[in-house]
Amino acid sequence: MSTTSVTPAPEDTIVRKKLGFGFWLCVTWIGLMAFIAIFAPVLPLKSPTANFLDSARGRPPYAPSWSHWFGTDKDARDVFSRSLYGARISLTVGFTAITAGFLIGGSLGVISGYYKGWIDRISSFGFIVLLSFPSLVLAILLTSLIDRNLLTVSLVLGLLSIAPVGRLARAATLQYADREFVLAARQIGATNRRIIIKEILPNVAIPMSSLALLGMAVAVVAEGGLAFLGFSVQKGITWGGLIQLGSDASKTLQDAPWIAFFPILMLFLTVLSLNFAGDRLRTFFDVKETTL
Amino acid sequence: MNQSEMVRSEHEPLVETIDVKTHFKTARGIARAVDGVSIQIRRGQSLGVVGESGSGKTVLSRSIMGLLPRNGVIREGSVRYQGQEIGNRSDKEMQSIWGREMAMIFQDPMTSLNPVMKVGKQIAESLRKNLGMSATEALAVAEKLLHDVRIPEPARRLNQYPHELSGGMRQRVMIAIAMACGPNMLFADEPTTALDVTVQAQILELLSEQKRERNMSLLLVTHNLGVVAGYTDEIAVMYGGKVVEKAPTKTLFANTKMPYTEALLSSIPRLDQPSHSRLSTIPGRPPDIVHPPKGCRFAPRCAYVRDLCLNEEPELQQADSPDHTYRCFYPVGSPEYLERRVELTRKGELVESEGSN
Amino acid sequence: MRYYVQRVALAILLLLAVSMLTFGALNILGDPLFNILGPVAGDVNNPDSIKMIALAKKEFNLDRALPVRYFIWLSHFVRGDFGVTFSSTGQPPVSGVISERLPRTISLVFLAQMFAIFVSIPWAIIAAARAGKVSDRISTINAFFLVAMPNFAIAVILKFVFSLKLGWTPITYVADDPLSSRLFQLLLPALTIGLPVAAVYQRLLRTDLITTLQQDFILLARTKGLSKTRILFVHALRPSLFSFITVVGLNTGALIGGSIVAETVFRIPGIGSTLVESIFRNDFPVVLAIVMIVASAFVVINLLVDFAYTLIDPRVRR
Repeated sequence: MSTTSVTPAPEDTIVRKKLGFGFWLCVTWIGLMAFIAIFAPVLPLKSPTANFLDSARGRPPYAPSWSHWFGTDKDARDVFSRSLYGARISLTVGFTAITAGFLIGGSLGVISGYYKGWIDRISSFGFIVLLSFPSLVLAILLTSLIDRNLLTVSLVLGLLSIAPVGRLARAATLQYADREFVLAARQIGATNRRIIIKEILPNVAIPMSSLALLGMAVAVVAEGGLAFLGFSVQKGITWGGLIQLGSDASKTLQDAPWIAFFPILMLFLTVLSLNFAGDRLRTFFDVKETTL
Repeated sequence: MNQSEMVRSEHEPLVETIDVKTHFKTARGIARAVDGVSIQIRRGQSLGVVGESGSGKTVLSRSIMGLLPRNGVIREGSVRYQGQEIGNRSDKEMQSIWGREMAMIFQDPMTSLNPVMKVGKQIAESLRKNLGMSATEALAVAEKLLHDVRIPEPARRLNQYPHELSGGMRQRVMIAIAMACGPNMLFADEPTTALDVTVQAQILELLSEQKRERNMSLLLVTHNLGVVAGYTDEIAVMYGGKVVEKAPTKTLFANTKMPYTEALLSSIPRLDQPSHSRLSTIPGRPPDIVHPPKGCRFAPRCAYVRDLCLNEEPELQQADSPDHTYRCFYPVGSPEYLERRVELTRKGELVESEGSN
Repeated sequence: MRYYVQRVALAILLLLAVSMLTFGALNILGDPLFNILGPVAGDVNNPDSIKMIALAKKEFNLDRALPVRYFIWLSHFVRGDFGVTFSSTGQPPVSGVISERLPRTISLVFLAQMFAIFVSIPWAIIAAARAGKVSDRISTINAFFLVAMPNFAIAVILKFVFSLKLGWTPITYVADDPLSSRLFQLLLPALTIGLPVAAVYQRLLRTDLITTLQQDFILLARTKGLSKTRILFVHALRPSLFSFITVVGLNTGALIGGSIVAETVFRIPGIGSTLVESIFRNDFPVVLAIVMIVASAFVVINLLVDFAYTLIDPRVRR
């Protein structure tokens, strides 16, 4: 006569917020990569440029073994140490680009959201113009015209992040610009500069910074794409460049897939970690996906 | 259905619930939204379910219709439709009942109609699914239904979207949708709350007229006793997930037993009172359904409370007339009630019979 | 009506700004004279070189002021005259190169977009219908992994598995093959750029569907006795498509960028791979034409997306 069905509570009944184990795992991986990127030269790694020719094993590339964990490439260079060194340029460019993008785009967005009027109209139009190019096309166009070094490539990618970051900062500022505490500050005669720094920035910065990791993931992927096509930093080892080297000739890819696949793994794990940690942070700070 | 079943169904209620419990698992614990409710509705009869928000009246109607989410819900007790147990049926099994046998009208016509589907199609799809009509047939019937619910220019409305209609008009469309396949049982969940006062009466009039013409049973959920008074045969007053008083409408108004019902009644504005007389409000808040009070759930807010009320929960009592039940140790008119009433009047807390505070 | 006029005007304004930016970048950051003549351009002491420089400057209007050159170029461009390429082998018109290669890129991007849309919609619907259950969680993790996979990495993996190891698909694109086999050759490239985009669409649509499924009108649809499939596809899908459509438009940019990578890896002579080659060959007019065509296409697609919005949501139709 009586019917009983007991089912687990739905997700939304759990009110407690936690970053969770996965988040810390991802942060650990990112930290490890950053550590390697900074200290690679002093770590006990094989030289990424030396040729480890082994007459007993015939012609390189050599498959992964105890002496070369990730194998070697056609020039008998150690793929493991090259994959680790690859983190240097990829992460530096990613970090510099997103920092530049957040500084420039963030301030443009806050200023146009706060002052509104013609400043807002001009910068908003500028954002739309930048967004009218497919981003990889604009990146290729600009990097092809400049001397490609660590700084310039970072700045080009930073330029690409100005528009999305700027629009987010503008939207966030608009939310706060007419709130009571801002109006109150204005009533007691605070200067605009003071209001922006003391009242607006702290409120805008928290949700924005939770998006920084996601932005860095995008920048790292973009750098990889540029390097893969030959448009990233000219000298030096990058993940995208390593993948290109291992896959350019079908024969290399078929016979020695490790040359391309280990850098792919490193890049994938790093982007996955940045995305996952960024996603957790965003839900933690409750930033809506739709504003992205 | 053979003849003996036919005969039986004449006497048996159309819809019957026996000790229905619907509990939700929440972060704070188990919320006893509906906590052991038994009601009966006969064919062509209308029952008003009245209570404050959180009393469980909406959950009760959804429990009967089987519209609750599957996850995080504990359901107990029996729901019967035409003598058959339907409380344990899956969504898929309920599909043959929904629309055809039972239908529901929701509170807010702004959010309850699909914003991107034409009105005609929203009515027609039910006809096509349940009665197997063709598209053109169904639209013709839909036009007639719109005419039945007094929507002007029904042919033109078929091709309009909900946002092009007024709130009252949308509620009429929703009634047309509910009526479409001639259900035996109609649930109306606060059907007039979201509407202008002037439109409210029209919609209720339309509902009761449709009910009469189609010999439907109606369960009218509302927080306003005044609304149900003219349109229901019987009223169940709910409080904290339980039915605390149930009686035929006239009996309930004439011979109120439960102090809670009395309090609800005195909060209705009445025409026979001076226009500036104060309306009574019930002090306190509806009970916490996760941690309900130990004794009578209304006791903490009751003016006639005694020790017994705080410690023991009253069982359902039978009043003088056979259809009248209530849950109270000291009902309106009992010696204890009168004694306390005299005290209250003396203290000036009770100014006149209907208005207080 | 006014809305349409405003949107078209904005699109034209955007195209002008985009063309100025592209033209300006190539002329100011780049060195068109060097691009045309190569080392000769810097050899200003040789009289022969000076003559060639003067000739080239005249032919390509390099002696005029930048704005004048811009307007000359623009007036030619809008008439479909993209100039001639700087290649040493004669000087075929750029429009010829483009018209030969653009259709391949268009079919590639179109295939990828169709793949992404028609995979993500059922995927999102199934996931939303089972929100919170194990199968939904697995699919969410899969989508997350796909989003984290850069398209050039997917290209390399697909090429390795399907072309090299399994031998199912050919390694290169042959322009002379019949249409059916050319479409087959576009399969892996389309997957390369379509897969991560499909995952992006799925994540977005799943979230929106779950929100829609909690609406009152879905409850009303259930009380009509409609089947679960009908409720999902007919009642829940369309009101959930608003941000989906916007994102489909925006991601066309990602698909165009992805086609550069895919065409390079799978050796398809489309405008993406041509862009890369032309940059390395310093073929300025081809680069300019391709960037302009791609950006214009992107602007127009997003304009169309805005209009498609009005078709899906009757409430903004005015």
